[in-house]
Amino acid sequence: MNEFFIRSLDASTIFTIAAIGELIGQRSGVINVGVEGVMLFGATLGFITAQVTGSYLLGFLVGIAIGALLGLLHGFFSVTLGGDQVVSGMGIWIMGFGLTTYIGNPYTGPLGMDRIPTFLGVSPFFYVGVALVVITWFVLSKTSLGLQIRSVGENPSVAEVSGVNVSRTRYWCSITGGMLMGFAGAVYALNYNPVWNYNFLMGWGFIALALVFFSMWNPFIMLAGSLLFGTLWQLSLNPQLVLPGLFSRYVWRTVPFAITLIVLFSMSMKWFRTRWGAAKPEALGLPYVKE
Amino acid sequence: MRIGSYELTLKKRETLAGWQAAVISTLAVVFALLLFSLVFVQAEANPLEAYKEIFDYAFFNPFGLPLTINRFIFLLLCACAFIIPIRAGLWNIGMTGQLYAGALSAFAVLFAFGVKGAKSAEYPGELIIPLMVVASMLGAVVVGTIAGYLKGKYNVNEIVVTMMLNFIMFWLVSFMIKDGGPFMNPGGRGESFELAKSLYAPLYKDVPFTVVLALGFALLLYWVFAKTKLGYQIRAYGQNPTAAEYAGISGVKISVLVFVLGAALAGLAGYHYFAAVPGVYKIARSYNFQGDLAFYGIICGLISQGNPIAAIPVALLFGGLTNGGRFVQGKLKLGFGIDYALLGVLMITLVAFQFFYRYQVVLVNTRKETPDE
Repeated sequence: MNEFFIRSLDASTIFTIAAIGELIGQRSGVINVGVEGVMLFGATLGFITAQVTGSYLLGFLVGIAIGALLGLLHGFFSVTLGGDQVVSGMGIWIMGFGLTTYIGNPYTGPLGMDRIPTFLGVSPFFYVGVALVVITWFVLSKTSLGLQIRSVGENPSVAEVSGVNVSRTRYWCSITGGMLMGFAGAVYALNYNPVWNYNFLMGWGFIALALVFFSMWNPFIMLAGSLLFGTLWQLSLNPQLVLPGLFSRYVWRTVPFAITLIVLFSMSMKWFRTRWGAAKPEALGLPYVKE
Repeated sequence: MRIGSYELTLKKRETLAGWQAAVISTLAVVFALLLFSLVFVQAEANPLEAYKEIFDYAFFNPFGLPLTINRFIFLLLCACAFIIPIRAGLWNIGMTGQLYAGALSAFAVLFAFGVKGAKSAEYPGELIIPLMVVASMLGAVVVGTIAGYLKGKYNVNEIVVTMMLNFIMFWLVSFMIKDGGPFMNPGGRGESFELAKSLYAPLYKDVPFTVVLALGFALLLYWVFAKTKLGYQIRAYGQNPTAAEYAGISGVKISVLVFVLGAALAGLAGYHYFAAVPGVYKIARSYNFQGDLAFYGIICGLISQGNPIAAIPVALLFGGLTNGGRFVQGKLKLGFGIDYALLGVLMITLVAFQFFYRYQVVLVNTRKETPDE
């Protein structure tokens, strides 16, 4: 049972890091629906680097770097070219899915390195994830930088008039978000499930995206959501812990996705929105054109 | 950018004529194929030779051509399944889940008639085959309606919803065909039971009748968008949902409707690949491959700019490229997944080329305006 909780925390960590990356981007008004693609790239290239060089550190750095590059690419498409952010995100996802299948295939199989040591019984990345949540909350709601990011996401033309460089802010948020998504992918491939297989994320990125909508753009609610979904994911892999013998194991695998749907549906209902209000950044997904 | 006395500038397009869109789309595909030749170079293959092999096998080889045509039918249906919602501004990336639902429903009809396991038994095909086709469409519609209703009524992001449904359906297929599931092959290799011979889809020169349905639906769809009130409402909603609502077009109705129609075609694609393509006739262990192939439908839909008739040649091209890609991969001993890599390169090139659908590059002679002193 203890093992189960530790694995759940590991799973939550990955959701947390990826979703906090998406949250930062969305707060600045840039939605990246290609989280899964960025994570796949971070996971695959991080895995290959670690296996070839034998260094975990290099693996994580490469995962972060490719995430930053993809964040930059998304920024270029959606800020500089002013294109449809959903099209660009879809492009990044399908590119990640297609290219990593080809690039990673020769490395199919286990990583074959010593496991990363735990700290106080839990993977060290759990603490990194919690720290990221606290830092993001602090920066976004307590600093002038955070005010700048939020104003760009709410009303870019007013922000521009008050002296904020909208394009630059959006670029940096997109790049930072990409780095975190790439890092989350690397944590998945190097720590949580160190066995490369084609498309081995199987929806983690999309659940991270759903978590941001679920969190109403609040890092702490997002952390709670990550813990919930991490546990759910782990339960869906080990159904014998709750209800032994009921349903096939394949039916259990659908549960996290079904619950995501139910959660998103319930929070979109009117009674929910009128009680808690929607904190959605006003300019989310809209390209900004300087007048 | 300056070239001599000429200056290259960008101008926002007011309108985009059909031929302009066609030119840009063609350039995008050519550019992507040029970019993709780097993959061949990296794998130490001659790109020209590789492309020649791909096209030879895909379009001129007696074994390759029928495979290309079957993929073409599948991709055209998937492309239309994507096009209908995108014309209303909604993203259906759930073709995968919808086609799985279609395949499961078609096999459920077989299951109900007790077909499981008796490969040579005679069944009334003229009754069961139409039932399978209808069931595949209805099964997919159930899945598609969820996405359309949640989007229209509650404004839940349809990308997340369709993707979640993809994974749910993926695991449900595993449940049905593996580990003693209801559709498991009695031989038990983690795949579904096979169709009885009398229930194979009718062929004309090795091509299943689904080709008529796919082409017919593409033409019908073109007509619906161009000439009918419904098509106009879908387009109006896609261009400006708020204005359309003011004009009395119900957002809920449109989003449910486009997902219902799109999903029905995706379900038909599921019937086609699992119950009509010669040599398949079952839900194989590697059913995820057909699911992944459906993502080419997104690319076809984007390249054809939402035009169902333009999607016909595009689907044929990609049917050939994916099929030929698999062939050269074996012949030139390239790494696995050439067709997946091509999917990725095409998609990102296409995103970059979206820019040219909106802007045009014009060459201005600056000498006239600023004469040399």
